[in-house]
Amino acid sequence: MRAFLPRTLALLCSQRPGRLELPLARMKVKILQWHAVASWTWDAQDETCGICRMAFDGCCPDCKFPGDDCPLIWGACNHAFHLHCILKWVNSQTSTPLCPMCRREWQFKG
Amino acid sequence: MQLDDSDGALDSWAGFCALTGDLVGGAGDLSVGPRLAPAVADLCARGLATLVRDYFLHNLEETFKNNAVKTFWQKFHPYNNSSAVERIKFCVQESWPEDVLSTALEDICLEKSYQEKCVLVLVHTLQSYEEKARNRKLQAAECSSSLMPRYQLMVSSVLLTTLPLSFPEILNVYFKKKLEELNTLMDGSGDNDQLASHEFSGGSNVSAWDSKMDIDSQETVISESGNLVKNIGKVVRDLRCLGFTSMTEDSYSSAIIWLLKSKVHELAGDDYRIPVLGCVKKWIQAVPLQFLHALLTYLGDSVDYESESSGLKSPLASRPSSFPGIGVPSEALLRWHMRLEYFAYETLQDLRIGKLFEIIVDYPESSPAIEDLKQCLEYTGQHSKLVDSFISSLRYRLLTAGASTNDILHQYVSTIKALRSIDPTGVFLEAVGEPIRDYLRGRKDTIKCIVTMLTDGSGGNTSGAGNAGDNLLEELNRDAENQENADYDDHTNMDEKQAWLNSESWEPDPVEADPLKGSRNRRKIDILGLMVSIIGSKDQLVNEYRVMLAEKLLSKSDFDIDSDIRTLELLKIHFGESSMQKCEIMLNDLIDSKRTNSNIKTSLLRTIETVTGQEEAEMSHDVLDATIISSNFWPPIQTEDLTVPASVDQMLSDFAKRFHQIKTPRKLLWKKNLGTVKLELQFEDRSMQFTVVPVHAAIIMRFQENPSWTSKTLATEIGIPVDSLNRRIGFWTSKGVLTESVGADVDDHIFTVVDSMSDVNKNSIVNESSEAFQMNEDEGESSISSVEEQLKKEMTVYEKFIIGMLTNFGNMTLDKIHNTLKMFCAEPSYDKSLQQLQGFLSGLVSDEKLEMRDGSYLLKK
Ligand SMILES: [Zn+2]
Ligand SMILES: [Zn+2]
Ligand SMILES: [Zn+2]
Repeated sequence: MRAFLPRTLALLCSQRPGRLELPLARMKVKILQWHAVASWTWDAQDETCGICRMAFDGCCPDCKFPGDDCPLIWGACNHAFHLHCILKWVNSQTSTPLCPMCRREWQFKG
Repeated sequence: MQLDDSDGALDSWAGFCALTGDLVGGAGDLSVGPRLAPAVADLCARGLATLVRDYFLHNLEETFKNNAVKTFWQKFHPYNNSSAVERIKFCVQESWPEDVLSTALEDICLEKSYQEKCVLVLVHTLQSYEEKARNRKLQAAECSSSLMPRYQLMVSSVLLTTLPLSFPEILNVYFKKKLEELNTLMDGSGDNDQLASHEFSGGSNVSAWDSKMDIDSQETVISESGNLVKNIGKVVRDLRCLGFTSMTEDSYSSAIIWLLKSKVHELAGDDYRIPVLGCVKKWIQAVPLQFLHALLTYLGDSVDYESESSGLKSPLASRPSSFPGIGVPSEALLRWHMRLEYFAYETLQDLRIGKLFEIIVDYPESSPAIEDLKQCLEYTGQHSKLVDSFISSLRYRLLTAGASTNDILHQYVSTIKALRSIDPTGVFLEAVGEPIRDYLRGRKDTIKCIVTMLTDGSGGNTSGAGNAGDNLLEELNRDAENQENADYDDHTNMDEKQAWLNSESWEPDPVEADPLKGSRNRRKIDILGLMVSIIGSKDQLVNEYRVMLAEKLLSKSDFDIDSDIRTLELLKIHFGESSMQKCEIMLNDLIDSKRTNSNIKTSLLRTIETVTGQEEAEMSHDVLDATIISSNFWPPIQTEDLTVPASVDQMLSDFAKRFHQIKTPRKLLWKKNLGTVKLELQFEDRSMQFTVVPVHAAIIMRFQENPSWTSKTLATEIGIPVDSLNRRIGFWTSKGVLTESVGADVDDHIFTVVDSMSDVNKNSIVNESSEAFQMNEDEGESSISSVEEQLKKEMTVYEKFIIGMLTNFGNMTLDKIHNTLKMFCAEPSYDKSLQQLQGFLSGLVSDEKLEMRDGSYLLKK
């Protein structure tokens, strides 16, 4: 088959291996709907919560649904935890609560 | 007593002999009788009574044998001497063997009754002598009383010793023909409508039966059938008289049974949609029992003879039963009734068991046949027959390579449903289901098919039965609700008394029950449980469901998940909320996505309106929808790089930016290869719509800038490997949108837009537009790794162990491989189930790495 290809086309191809400079196409593509897929992430430095050891993009043991229902919170020390986890931790401390990771005093990042 | 008077003795003997000869050969002349007395008395006085008796009997015997018996059998010679084929000619003659039989019997019985009279003459003579002897206190042998029984014995032994082999056959033909005649007579009368109407009422109420008789027509039938029965009765009586009692009874019994059998076959046929048991029972009462009643009455046997029932009361006797037209039946008739019903049950049961496979295919339309079968089995108790026969037909017809997994599963479900009514305890179902389950476990697509059948309303149901759009799960749930409502045992507040009562009513399992599989009290037939037991564990089922759900959700172009939510709720009921947690999150993601989408889109549109100069944007943000998933809870998703056109990319990043603003600090990560795109290709002379995956859209959109691309350049532009591009672009060439030609470089193909339709068959345009919005099936390449792939990946580490084991041991069974892996595989430790291993091994078999022979695996050479 290849032997019978028009000479000119074969030439053209060998000369310009990339984009073929031909007249502008008359075909238009109209997008009617683009249904895309994405995943969300908290974009924390660590993968898992240092308190419950569950993934940040998952949820704490007390929650059923991740995301809005089980948010993350950052401390002034830049350590992140599930909100529910750190609240439990803070409430359980008798003295001044410390960050479970770095033992600095826990303060919510403003 | 003058014992030496020998001359007198000889005289008396000669006289006795001569008179005996006259009497016996006297052709109806009994006049010589009285003259016998002196000679007999003399001989008896000489103690020769037994000699007198024996001589007399011998004389009768010779005469009977040489005359009556000879003529009797001669009547049947023509039949006896013919070949089997010729005999049929006799049988088809209407009057045969009735005429021959009745005249022959008449003749011989006439002769016999004359001989009996002769016997009585001697009996009386002997009696009067014996009486005198007693009065004189003389000792004398008592011969009179034994004479008649000896005579009867002689008659039957003569007949039986000369009996031609074919005589029982003749009797059989006779009774069959007569019963057939009687049957048509009864059937032709008013019984027809009653039998017919009974087919639909289904019950078996005896009292309703005789209420609506058409008196006039019935009377003629009764008199006609009365005559018929009388004739039969006469023949039976004659036969009995000749000593053929048991042969006769055998003969008409087998004729009745034969007729019953053919009646059952005729009524039952191959139609499983009507109940027949009631009809059969009705017929038994209408024909054979009426006949037997009439016959027994005619023969004088209908009186109850308690002695014969030997204290055994039939269960039927306890019923206040009064048969139509019979009144209170005799014990003998009741026994017949039981016997015939048992036989009918057994015949129908065997017939239905033989066709059980077809009946189950027809289920639930065939439930009347199932109901009949159930009643039959309750009566006969031959459930094991069903189990054996059905298993062998399953093996032969269903569990073969040719049957699809779907078909097998559907037949299995139908089997469960059908057998559940026959066998509410599930004992036999357990036995029948085992080979099906075993077989299904060896198939790779079983889990997938089960999950589809459970959760998919339309796809699974190939038979078309059941409500459309209704999946098996919903059906099961309805069943469960119904069961619960009817179930008193399961009340949570069952008090102690009730518990005690329950334990009182406990019955042992039937013998077929496997004691390891729980007792009937606890066993409730749980179709879902049976399906899960095929798979091995509910976790595997749930996992497969999750993968299928993910695939389905990710290829959706809308957020309509009502039916999936319903299915999930049902699954939660059966498998528990925690097992379904991940699936619930997946569905929740779609609900959230819908909300987030509309928030983002309204805010984006507002922004654009305010910003001037943006109106010429190539695409409105309106066309973009996004499914935003919580990827931790979804099955592993294969992401591939894809460079989408700049316009689309802009749209995506606008969307992501807005998401980040709304949900700070959460971010969106696009999975650009996933999703669904609806697009329209606009040409000068036509336009076409397609629903495609993003990579197809990315490819075709490039052809707006340039009508021709080489595969290498295009692959670079789109950011996918060339071989992947060549595969994907096939979609557009197959649709006639692009053409392919070969460039200078053999590997580098050139694709060009087919601009005008002039050179393409116009018909294809029409087809194209009707095909619009259809996903290309080749695109079924899933973005979700299937459970099988996941498992394969996890199992691959064990492959070298398995190969090594088989190299050492030659061949090993599944169990042995499983156990050996469990024992020796420490790093990584082996934690797979037997089913998972089986699935993996069957994968190795289809990859031709292993072979399976006689239930063992070995290395493929
Ligand atoms: Zn946590
Ligand atoms: Zn939480
Ligand atoms: Zn810290």
